[in-house]
Amino acid sequence: MTQRPVAAALLSLAALACTRASDGPAPGVLVVSVDKQSAWVRNFNPLAAGGGARWPTTGGIYEPMLVFNSVKGEYVPWLATGYTWHPGATGLTFTIRRGVRWSDGAPMTAADVAFTFDFLRRYPALDSGGTWKRLDRVTLDDAEHVTFHLRTPHVPALHGLALTPIVPEHVFGRLADPLTFTNPEPVATGPFTEVRVFKNQVFELGRNPHYWGGLPAVTAIRQPAFPGNDAANLALINGEVDWAGDFVPAVERTFVGRDPAHFHSWAPPVGAMVFLYANTTRPPFDDPRVRRALSLAIDRERVVEVGMYGYTRPANTVAFSARYDRWRDATLDDSPESFVGHDPTTAAALLDAAGLRAGPDGRRLGRDGQPLTYTIDVVGGWSDWVRSAQVIARDLTALGIQTTLRTFEFGAWSERVQKGEFDLSVGWSDEGPTPYDFYFWLMNPESVAPVGKASPGNWHRFGDPESLALFEAFRTETDPQAQQRIVHALQRRFVATVPAIPLFPNPSWGTCSTRRFTGFPSELDPYARLSPFAQPESLLVLTRLRPVP
Amino acid sequence: MAFALRRLVFYLVAAWFAITLNFAIPRMMPGDPATTIFARFQGRLAPEALDALKASFGLTDAPLLTQYGTYLGHLFTGDLGLSVAYFPSPVSEVIGTGLGWTLLLAGTAVCFSFALGTLLGVLAAWRRGGRLDAILPPILSFLGAFPYFWLAMAALWLFGYTLGWFPVRHAYGSDLEPGWDLTFLVDVVRHGLLPASTIVLVTLGGWMLSMRNTMLGVLGGESILYARARGLAPRTIMWRYAARNALLPSVTSFGMALGFVLGGSLLTEIVFAYPGQGYLLLQAVRTQDYPLMQGIFLAITLAVLAANWIVDVVTMMLDPRIR
Repeated sequence: MTQRPVAAALLSLAALACTRASDGPAPGVLVVSVDKQSAWVRNFNPLAAGGGARWPTTGGIYEPMLVFNSVKGEYVPWLATGYTWHPGATGLTFTIRRGVRWSDGAPMTAADVAFTFDFLRRYPALDSGGTWKRLDRVTLDDAEHVTFHLRTPHVPALHGLALTPIVPEHVFGRLADPLTFTNPEPVATGPFTEVRVFKNQVFELGRNPHYWGGLPAVTAIRQPAFPGNDAANLALINGEVDWAGDFVPAVERTFVGRDPAHFHSWAPPVGAMVFLYANTTRPPFDDPRVRRALSLAIDRERVVEVGMYGYTRPANTVAFSARYDRWRDATLDDSPESFVGHDPTTAAALLDAAGLRAGPDGRRLGRDGQPLTYTIDVVGGWSDWVRSAQVIARDLTALGIQTTLRTFEFGAWSERVQKGEFDLSVGWSDEGPTPYDFYFWLMNPESVAPVGKASPGNWHRFGDPESLALFEAFRTETDPQAQQRIVHALQRRFVATVPAIPLFPNPSWGTCSTRRFTGFPSELDPYARLSPFAQPESLLVLTRLRPVP
Repeated sequence: MAFALRRLVFYLVAAWFAITLNFAIPRMMPGDPATTIFARFQGRLAPEALDALKASFGLTDAPLLTQYGTYLGHLFTGDLGLSVAYFPSPVSEVIGTGLGWTLLLAGTAVCFSFALGTLLGVLAAWRRGGRLDAILPPILSFLGAFPYFWLAMAALWLFGYTLGWFPVRHAYGSDLEPGWDLTFLVDVVRHGLLPASTIVLVTLGGWMLSMRNTMLGVLGGESILYARARGLAPRTIMWRYAARNALLPSVTSFGMALGFVLGGSLLTEIVFAYPGQGYLLLQAVRTQDYPLMQGIFLAITLAVLAANWIVDVVTMMLDPRIR
């Protein structure tokens, strides 16, 4: 009795389904997939804590004084045309670019730069770069020059200062409550400042008519909301997304292979180095011979093959990712102390020397005579790390140290490692612009926090007193050649002391389609990373892309 | 009427209890939001930022009782606080991005599934062993036993991607302006049809079987035999006597299902890139966003309680014995 109406309803629904609206973007509109959200929340405040601002607030809307190209490890002049260090590295003067305008037409001058830093001083909650830990005061010299006076000489402070997004005084200076400002209509210097569309599922940023680099060739950036990688990858392989930085499984087959002439993927190993951290406050990991033995027991080729599907390379002797290539002392690769090779025999000998002898069943005994058993802490669900840790656990067990995996929910894991309450854990490392920051959080005694106190780095609690003077020297050294010598010396300390066990550098994912736009960075033209989420590096790409006519 | 009021008081007490639990549970979790957010940046954020984060989230060491007082006070003024994951947007705004879509998608799907499943259950039980009764239950149980994620992906791939009958993502076309005009409404239906169908497909079997089984029990009862003996029209017996009585347990589960609608359907949202509460909840748990978690849990709790109270009232109307 109900059959006829039901059939009619089904028919009309089917008809409805067949009327497809065209969803394709207009020519010149770049479709990007960066943030993973099911719905957009409007926030374009470049100083907002916690990274809650929509992409590309700090890499397309607002701009810093210098942009860092992490593939080449170089600074590119941006709102500042240059900088000079004062003798003794206590002060730093930036020359601000002339003729830059805010998107509302007002001129951008050195006064805005001075204002930005004064603003951060007044609201420490917004100072996510921690610039005022180093700064004493900021002075406006004239319309083109700003000088930063440091409390103590600190050359690495350059990065935090240079990459701080500059905000307009005539907008931010009038805010009643800057801490909860979501900046719905940004006034900025970047190439894309006009919020043309903002809906819960998609938003679009139009060009800045006053852009100092000339009107961008891309007419707008559009970001559809994708709640997860699967939905984003489906759109990507369908050719609906022009630029993305999501992990694509078997990218050559699933994506590039569908249109090799236009679909490209590039994942240089410039991300953070991933380590196996051994807690040096817990014996026997306080003994460098034991850490060296653990390192030599690990077959990194296999870790990379199984854990990372071969998307990266094993760690090198000094644990540098590709972004530090120009700092690397390659001669250390031949050093007898190098500990990144796979050499179980030497590893066993080192354990013998350290007093961890093998029992009758082949299992290593601790100094108290008990067999050694440890767990490697990893975040459950981070499948690349879980697979890597499985390979490592097997290698260590083969060495006679019974090792198993323990997975944690992210919050619980980060609490344990930050407080130093673990035996072995897989973790990332600092990604600073120079090896100074990277090594600082690996082996500088000043970065060691007591066990039980949450520390943002140096989770393994290792300090090498002999490296102190080198870090000290680097902080006052502005000459590139002399800096290079100091970093070489630091590399020798790293190889000699084995602060932690490097595994592999993280690749920086990037995929693009050249059907509609050209000019993306690539291995042949590495002017930036291909990862859109790398802000403010994305500015280099957004200003270089050209629509295909 | 007194019955309805008694139940209302009971639900108010339950609501207070739930609100208090809602306050206590997140605070027992390990870690604090600032360190978690910091850690999430995997080294891309300078270590100095930690203090800035803590300051901006207003992480206080105030005594729990004081925090509880502030929490209750804010609740009654509708101030759910600022979200941590979407800082500095207020929780009410964040929840607002998905609430309506969740109500629409999951609400419609649950109601439709309940109505259709119950109808099929009645028909199957009435012609026990008939064609409908023999074919549908096994098929629907089979579909319901599939992992939902897999089924939704397969539907998306087949109907959205390969055949191109339905859009593959979102609640409406991204070039349309939301409004109450026909084009937009048609577009919303077009986008919602596939995700809603997958939900209906996997839940239909449950409703049908439970209705069919209760109905069979009722049909075997003496009251039905008496009604037949009196010569009442079969259709009257089927609907007014058998189905009405058999409906009671189903209505109770329907109330529960309706209440949980506000929790969102996480898997549907993720597969079909549909805006909604489920994803927000996941995001809140991932980032230890206590204010957002509390806001969503509060919405779910109140919805479950309200739905149950309504079910109590409906049951009262269906079943005179309770009055």
